[in-house]
Amino acid sequence: MSYYDIDAILTDAEKVPCKFELDIPELGYLDNNPAQPLKSGTTVGLPLWLAELLALANRAPSSADEEAKSFVSLNLPPSLSNEVMSALKADPRAVPLRDQSHNFYGLGTRMLDLFEEKEICAILRRTFVTRAADIALHAGKAGATDDMGIGGGEEFLRGLEEWERKLFKKAHDGAKGSKEWMEGVKKHRR
Amino acid sequence: MYGDLGNKLVQQAKRTQNLAHLPPYQTELVRAVTREVRDLDKDVSALLEPFQGSFHPTDDQAVACTLLVNHLSMRRNKRCLLAYHHTRTDRVEELVWKGYDVVDLAGQQVRDGSGNTSSASSTTNGNGSMSNLSPQEEDYVRQYSDLLAAYKGQWTDIDLTGSLEPPRDLFIDVRVLKDAGEIQTEYGQFYVRQGDVERLIAQGYLQKLS
Repeated sequence: MSYYDIDAILTDAEKVPCKFELDIPELGYLDNNPAQPLKSGTTVGLPLWLAELLALANRAPSSADEEAKSFVSLNLPPSLSNEVMSALKADPRAVPLRDQSHNFYGLGTRMLDLFEEKEICAILRRTFVTRAADIALHAGKAGATDDMGIGGGEEFLRGLEEWERKLFKKAHDGAKGSKEWMEGVKKHRR
Repeated sequence: MYGDLGNKLVQQAKRTQNLAHLPPYQTELVRAVTREVRDLDKDVSALLEPFQGSFHPTDDQAVACTLLVNHLSMRRNKRCLLAYHHTRTDRVEELVWKGYDVVDLAGQQVRDGSGNTSSASSTTNGNGSMSNLSPQEEDYVRQYSDLLAAYKGQWTDIDLTGSLEPPRDLFIDVRVLKDAGEIQTEYGQFYVRQGDVERLIAQGYLQKLS
């Protein structure tokens, strides 16, 4: 992941719920209320680029018996919630991931760096593999017939998130390229 | 919220990656993002002022948190700005390598879009302000082209930016699309050696007839 990677930057803009652990007078605007102080305990959806470091930055304990805490405590975003996970467990192909998040897997990997969630990890991995096979199937069909996947798969293809779209494009271009190459071979043989 | 404008800029960059041509430079948006950084910096100075240089994060955690948020927002904006410009310079470099007349890109695009009609390109060429590049980018193109020319100049018998497709025939027929003045190759004017006119085809002066 490069500093200039556009997709990484867009993934960084995905919002995650953060609960503030202290009152902050100046930050009311984060809760769309610039005139009021941000109260301790308020939950705000913050982009990853802000949330991650706010959660990781340790503030020193204010008294000796208190443990060092961070400014906010993170939560898993709705796109990785139990409902979505059970839907994916039931049938990975039936969930339009794009509606959950445009950068679903990107967000997932970033969150799983921060959370110890073995089950989500396993579900995401299985989801990706299962869907990748379908994506390759659709892309191969579309590449060989020169139309972009018309014929049944439209609903599934609309729900692809960014990683999957890239995968689709690569598989599509690959199928198309090899078809063109084969035709070229035939032509030169004559 | 801070960083929203920067995000718009990155979305523009994302769009640019999927386009064949280079969209217009977002002068206003870039200006707004840099203005936001300056405002944030002013906020930081104002927040620190009462402490007279002896600020201890442990004593005033709310201020420490505000400073962190401001700092992260500035850093985010910086990354968005750099990534946006990086995407564009990447594209510009690619075009220079392909031998396009990049400063005259607007004309180039009209020509591409209208299926190689010569009349469309000549009308837009007269209008120099059509360029999608910022003045800085135009300068970059000029200097990068000079660099590339100097690099290519080291090898006189091989054209580094030439086509990678092996030619079927040594000679080809060409049609003139726009006036390039009188050009005489070793062999003639319309039935010419492909290697001699590759540049002119890439620049859109000539069209190859198959």
